[in-house]
Amino acid sequence: MLKAFPKDKLTAVLDTLAKQATLWVPSVVASVSRFAPYGPDREVQLGANTVMSPKEALFPATEKIYEYSAYGIDGEFTPVDPSVGPQILFGLRSCDMQGILCLDDVFLTRGYVDDYYAKKREEATLVTLGCVTPGPDCFCYAMGVNPAEHEASDAQLFDLGDAYGIVARTAKGEALVSALAAAGLLVESNKAPLPTGDFVLKVDAEGITEKLQHMFDHPLWDAFSRKCLNCGACAYICPTCHCFDISDKKRNAHCGVKIKCWDTCMYAEYALMAGGHNPRPSKKERVRQRFMHKLRYFPERYGKLQCTGCGRCIAKCPVNLEITDVIQQVREAKIDG
Amino acid sequence: MANPTNNVNAANPQPVATLDDVKRINPLVPMKARVTRIIEETSDVKTFCVSTIGEDGQPVAPFRTGPGQLAMLSLAGVGEAMFSATDAPDHLQISIKKVGLLTEQLHEICEGQTVGIRGPYGNGFDMEAMKGKNVLFIGGGIGLAPVRSVVRYCVDHREDYGNLHLIYGARTYDDLVFKYDLFETWPKVPDFKVSVTVDKGDDNWKGNVGFVPAFIEQLHPSPENTVCILCGPPIMIKFTLGVLNKLGFKPENVITTLEMRMKCGIGKCGRCNIGSCFVCLDGPVFSLAQLKMLPNEY
Repeated sequence: MLKAFPKDKLTAVLDTLAKQATLWVPSVVASVSRFAPYGPDREVQLGANTVMSPKEALFPATEKIYEYSAYGIDGEFTPVDPSVGPQILFGLRSCDMQGILCLDDVFLTRGYVDDYYAKKREEATLVTLGCVTPGPDCFCYAMGVNPAEHEASDAQLFDLGDAYGIVARTAKGEALVSALAAAGLLVESNKAPLPTGDFVLKVDAEGITEKLQHMFDHPLWDAFSRKCLNCGACAYICPTCHCFDISDKKRNAHCGVKIKCWDTCMYAEYALMAGGHNPRPSKKERVRQRFMHKLRYFPERYGKLQCTGCGRCIAKCPVNLEITDVIQQVREAKIDG
Repeated sequence: MANPTNNVNAANPQPVATLDDVKRINPLVPMKARVTRIIEETSDVKTFCVSTIGEDGQPVAPFRTGPGQLAMLSLAGVGEAMFSATDAPDHLQISIKKVGLLTEQLHEICEGQTVGIRGPYGNGFDMEAMKGKNVLFIGGGIGLAPVRSVVRYCVDHREDYGNLHLIYGARTYDDLVFKYDLFETWPKVPDFKVSVTVDKGDDNWKGNVGFVPAFIEQLHPSPENTVCILCGPPIMIKFTLGVLNKLGFKPENVITTLEMRMKCGIGKCGRCNIGSCFVCLDGPVFSLAQLKMLPNEY
């Protein structure tokens, strides 16, 4: 038997959870589909994935690191507390949960921890929702992600038709389920989760990392980069892109705030050094970097692809430079060009 | 010569900082430190001695760096950048050439001014692996700064290394950095040969005139049991590698440092990757053999 709550109790469930923590739900804010803090007027959209990924709950687009002041020859650096308090991310798809695992690899491993991410991650409870109807641009199955459930979440929701089943996977998940039970919102259900529908988009990424190890100088990169606008939209909506800049926001001539903010390798200034040397001077190098990072460098460093098949970059790329096309063409390419 | 000796003999380089040291002092927030001394090396290079205040109220180095390791220096409201650092017990030494907005502003500051500092970053040179070998140092321009930290280590641990030979070049005599080391300190070290060249001669200069790669060819250093430490501008490195290859140096015995734009210093911001390597973590020190396995994008 599965613990479940009827879909018509969703509001009561969210109201209960919102009392415990900042509750992020998929919704539409100012015409943009994104995860946003739940409130009385928030319309929750569990039927399709959001356009903006939920990474901003753990890795905000702009975040204060420290405040500084400099009067005369004296200066001070005052750290900003990275904590934002307990958070619940509700209704994440498996692709986005996988994206958070990629962020975990970057920010929490290899000997160093990014305190700003770590604190938020530690305080977050992640509730995933099994996917029933993959979108037209979805291809998570090809990236090794199970759309029906993700074992790394704290609690998993299953669509049972007229109810959502919920299974706790960690102590944080147990606490969340217990809170719902205590509020009298859970019932027992013997219904099976609805199956995941067919994927429209087909792609096979098997062996892509190994193939790309021999394709750094391949002419395909010229072809791919020709139409790219270097607009960076793909990076900003991607659940795994994690590059950031550290820059100043001055209050006045003497003091200001140091901020950490999203950045992307698509921009020409990204790798530009003082003195004018740029190791990635043209679109070709920048486009190559993006796809190589996702499909070769990240797997080499962290053992997993840095694409979760969420399909956002396919949906939003203004020139249809689609990662599934890149994968397909790389697979078909002759290594000697 | 042009500048007084600066604590060279007092230098006491330590092994590369341990991971625990780095974690302790390495969040994204800089430590407040003070520039205790500024040495004018050339018209566009200055060396900054940076200290924090210890528990006894005396200046101390903010952290220890091994040869080739890096430090992130910041000027409040202006910016932050990564530099090669050399340490002494009571300060870090960072030599900076004026090349952009931050470095221009740094050249304007005065002794006593507050700066931010964080680090140490990077892998540094593997001084253990070089034990028992001759060391050939090759530097060009401000590229002598990372080389100098290795030279100082070898001089301080003289018995651990064989013959030392430094080949250094700059555009003109005025552009030679660390003249006090080049012409006073190092020539007095046993079995340490110092060879200096300038691209363009003038009345101040009686020594060799010519580019570094040609000078190396002329000096013909032996690759026998020798490690080569090479740092300088990309064009010099490119032609020098050709000469070293001709002289018989093996790629695993040629060691250099890379420069990339860096922001976080701890492998998170994604900016300094070359393939699956991050220069701030896996570098900046790489052997030529390692570089040959990386994508040619630096």
